[in-house]
Amino acid sequence: MDAVGDDKQRPAVPTIERVRALFPILLLAGLCLYFALQSERFLTIPNGLIVLQQSVVLLVAALGMTFVIVNGSIDLSVGSVVALSALVAAATSAELGAFAILPAIAVGLVCGLLNGVIFAIGKVPSFIVTLGTMVVFRGIVLFWTRGAPVSITDFQFLGLYSGRTFDIPNSVLIAFVALVLAWIVFNYTVFGREVRAIGGGERVALLSGIKVSRVKIGVFALSGLMCGLAGLLQSSRTMAATSQLAQGLELDVIAAVVVGGTPLTGGVGKVRGTVIGVLIIAVLSNGMNMTGVDPYFQNIIKGLVLILAVFLTIDRKKIAIIK
Amino acid sequence: MRLVATDISKRYGGTVALDRVSFDVQAGEVHALVGENGAGKSTLLKVLAAVEQRDSGTAALDGTDFAPRSLRQAEAAGVAHVFQELNVNRSVGIAENVFLGRLAEFRRFGLLNTRRLRSAAQAVLDELGADIAVDRDIGSLDLGQLKIVEVARALAIRPSIIFFDESTAFLNNREVRMLLAVIDRLRSQGIGIAFVSHHLNEVFEIADRLTVLKDGGLVGTYPAADIGEAKLHELMVGRGGEEGLFPGFGGSPAAATPALEITGLRIDGGVGPIDLSVGRGRIVGIGGLKGSGGDAILSALTGMSRIAGGSIRLDGTPYRPAGPAAAWAHGVAYLPGDRTGEGLIPEFAVDENLTLAVRPGRWGFSDRRRHKEMSGAAIDTLRIKTPTADTPCSSLSGGNMQKVVLGKCLAGRPTLLLLNNPTRGVDIGAKAEIYRVIRRLADDGIAVLMVSEDLPELLGLSDQVLITRKGDISQVFPEHENPSEEEAVRWML
Repeated sequence: MDAVGDDKQRPAVPTIERVRALFPILLLAGLCLYFALQSERFLTIPNGLIVLQQSVVLLVAALGMTFVIVNGSIDLSVGSVVALSALVAAATSAELGAFAILPAIAVGLVCGLLNGVIFAIGKVPSFIVTLGTMVVFRGIVLFWTRGAPVSITDFQFLGLYSGRTFDIPNSVLIAFVALVLAWIVFNYTVFGREVRAIGGGERVALLSGIKVSRVKIGVFALSGLMCGLAGLLQSSRTMAATSQLAQGLELDVIAAVVVGGTPLTGGVGKVRGTVIGVLIIAVLSNGMNMTGVDPYFQNIIKGLVLILAVFLTIDRKKIAIIK
Repeated sequence: MRLVATDISKRYGGTVALDRVSFDVQAGEVHALVGENGAGKSTLLKVLAAVEQRDSGTAALDGTDFAPRSLRQAEAAGVAHVFQELNVNRSVGIAENVFLGRLAEFRRFGLLNTRRLRSAAQAVLDELGADIAVDRDIGSLDLGQLKIVEVARALAIRPSIIFFDESTAFLNNREVRMLLAVIDRLRSQGIGIAFVSHHLNEVFEIADRLTVLKDGGLVGTYPAADIGEAKLHELMVGRGGEEGLFPGFGGSPAAATPALEITGLRIDGGVGPIDLSVGRGRIVGIGGLKGSGGDAILSALTGMSRIAGGSIRLDGTPYRPAGPAAAWAHGVAYLPGDRTGEGLIPEFAVDENLTLAVRPGRWGFSDRRRHKEMSGAAIDTLRIKTPTADTPCSSLSGGNMQKVVLGKCLAGRPTLLLLNNPTRGVDIGAKAEIYRVIRRLADDGIAVLMVSEDLPELLGLSDQVLITRKGDISQVFPEHENPSEEEAVRWML
């Protein structure tokens, strides 16, 4: 081997870069510490479980979004897909019971495939495609329900998806399984590698023989599938599907991914980062409620934290142009 | 005016890019900086023009301290920098580009005085002797003309010193001639010029003095007339240049069926009909002006262009790829001409890029062990100089990046290797290594089809040379009877 190749020493990473990579977790720890000092009920096991329960829908949808953003695209339709899947789950729960998960996920998958095909084959920018389908899918929900909520009464459905096992909410366990699967797919499969390569340089990926269109469709299908699952979890938590369900969720989802350190430019990102980003958003909401922050003031803080997080995290040297 | 830099040092992390280098540029001279990739030529210019900040050392312009904090301050002091990459903004006009960043000077009642801007820009272009009218559509300019617009921008700040960093790297022969003529003209106007190029013939043609750098250190400064090409090569690489740049022809032709056989191929965009064949163990080179057909042939063979008619046979069986994925699956590897935009992902690690075309896996899971084996083998056999396998490619020199792209092509053990300008912007040492690798591959039985705008490369590496002109093959030279540069060029025009 070449003399240089044997050298295992890594070039010294400047300390600022290390702090930057650690920033999301420092922010999370800082928020937890602050809220723990403000309210003694914050750092308790029951409240911890509440935070987790509140974050499952966001987490599951954000896992799919991580693939989309690392791929260099965006999916604005997630909130609407979650609402549509929740509606399908609610509408079929009386007949199918716990098996309502199947049509819910199938609908999410179909919505995602539709996004992917229009984007990759029709060559319409993903921002525009999903902006359109966001309105269309929400429109289907409205047209179907005529604005009236569809409630869930099936005992088996609610028992499985909003019950508890050993005191841990089932929804948290399901989300954890989804997290592990997403983590494996992202880090250990050829598909995950191709997703990153396309986000890093689409033309390079194409000329290297990656089936770019197929991977892009797969990414959106995966995002849709995750939204299907998120919709199911959301409907079981609220025991109903409403036409306003998950409205604006796409912004929280994108914020969670970005706050977790995944830049919108694509190519790089971590599932772990997304988990932290989701927890930051969930802890912030929960903590502000616990400490009695004026609910009409909370959005202002959330927005500012988002900007601050990205301001401190983003590595401007690697991205010449920030759009 | 005279720029004198003394004992300039610059480190990047643990790497010493410049170690106490001294360098000066006199008024009315061209002072060339030569050395292999990573020798520190570009870094020296960047440090002097304040694109990067130096760690230590001093610089003086006409005896007064010269320590700009930014490129803008350097320009204000009279030092302009023409970068290697094209820095023209194609969404505005030629005149706007010449005065980019200084358009405020042409303000009248808060609006842009376009007429005054255009006449000022035209005056600068005329001063360069360039035949470019400012009201032309910027999209109609070729690379050489765009480069001259950049030179005009540098000249418009009325500098006393201009740096040219690899300005000829992406230009074809005719465009290079045009640029060298411009540089000569600037010199005669009394401007001091620092010139970096990998092409030693350009250096000898234009330079008055030469400074040789090696591994960030100063080897010496010499009058260009006192030093021969062989001697210079020795100073640059630190060893005798007894090995030639080119490895020579391949062995006796293999008589069997050619690996690639193209008959009557017509490609969308008015190229063809093309007939050519490449035997196993052969390197066939296609020369010609940009856009005359070579690129189109490669793009058809990789499935990127639609084929309008004719037939392609690969090892005797019909071949018509639907896209690059199909081409790779058939054992056709493609090395694109644009290293960082098409060849590799600069932000990704060396090993990630090396297996990008193969992506070893089992049941859909990445096969990390095979990935490590393949990338390790490529780093060894191609002698890629990188601190570790997971260093980002962007921190490698151009020559080593190009070896990574070549390694990516070879990982899949192709039967046909397509090369588009395989050593563009690569230093002479790495060039020789890449040529040897390509010849060794051919000797191992791979068929190589190369498109090159670099005449010495085309004529020196190929077993057989074809010339294209306006979408057709204008001349096929017999195997191992490569033409002179003059003759090759005659068939291009």
